[in-house]
Amino acid sequence: MSILEIVGQVVIVLGGLVFLSAALGVIRFPDPYTRTSAVGTAGGIGIVLVTVGCLLVHPSVSDTIKVIAIVVLQLATSAVGSIAIARSAFITHTPMYGPAFTDLEWEEAGEHVADEWGAGIEPGGDSSEGRPD
Amino acid sequence: MIGIDIGLALLLIACLASTYRMVKGPTGADRAVAADLLLFGIVGIIALIGLKVASPARFDIVLVASVVGFLGALSLARTITRGHR
Repeated sequence: MSILEIVGQVVIVLGGLVFLSAALGVIRFPDPYTRTSAVGTAGGIGIVLVTVGCLLVHPSVSDTIKVIAIVVLQLATSAVGSIAIARSAFITHTPMYGPAFTDLEWEEAGEHVADEWGAGIEPGGDSSEGRPD
Repeated sequence: MIGIDIGLALLLIACLASTYRMVKGPTGADRAVAADLLLFGIVGIIALIGLKVASPARFDIVLVASVVGFLGALSLARTITRGHR
């Protein structure tokens, strides 16, 4: 058992622990937005760690090129997919959990919120153009 | 090879947790996020089992599965909003 193999197995276990933290977040977090943050960050890093560990256990040149492609694609796409899911949850008015101030109330309250908060802030911004409801 | 077995066990626990959230989740976004995590876990399990059985095509499968998973996440996001953008 070479030193590279041991390092690879340690990296694989680290990736498994990252996945375990994502699973803990999916189980325990209260609303879809926080669950999205858990999955979007941990999913990308977890896959990267597991594949790099697999490469380190049995290294070869052609596998290195494939792993570089996997790492770049995974880091570029996992956050985009998760944020697309969170954005569609926001569009369908999925309620947020218990903060003092939510963006959804800001959009629905409209003018009153602008009067209370004052100072020429447009509530909801330009969301009336592209929003379905 | 004990590290690979530990990694497989951790990924299996993550897949079971996301399956629980996918069955139980109150909204569609919860189920979509859990499906995303389940796909990541399955891809990791594919990589580790391919390492255990010394398959030469394991990184090809992981590459294709991660790209298809990205397209799946985007289409789930479209499905939640019933096609609106």
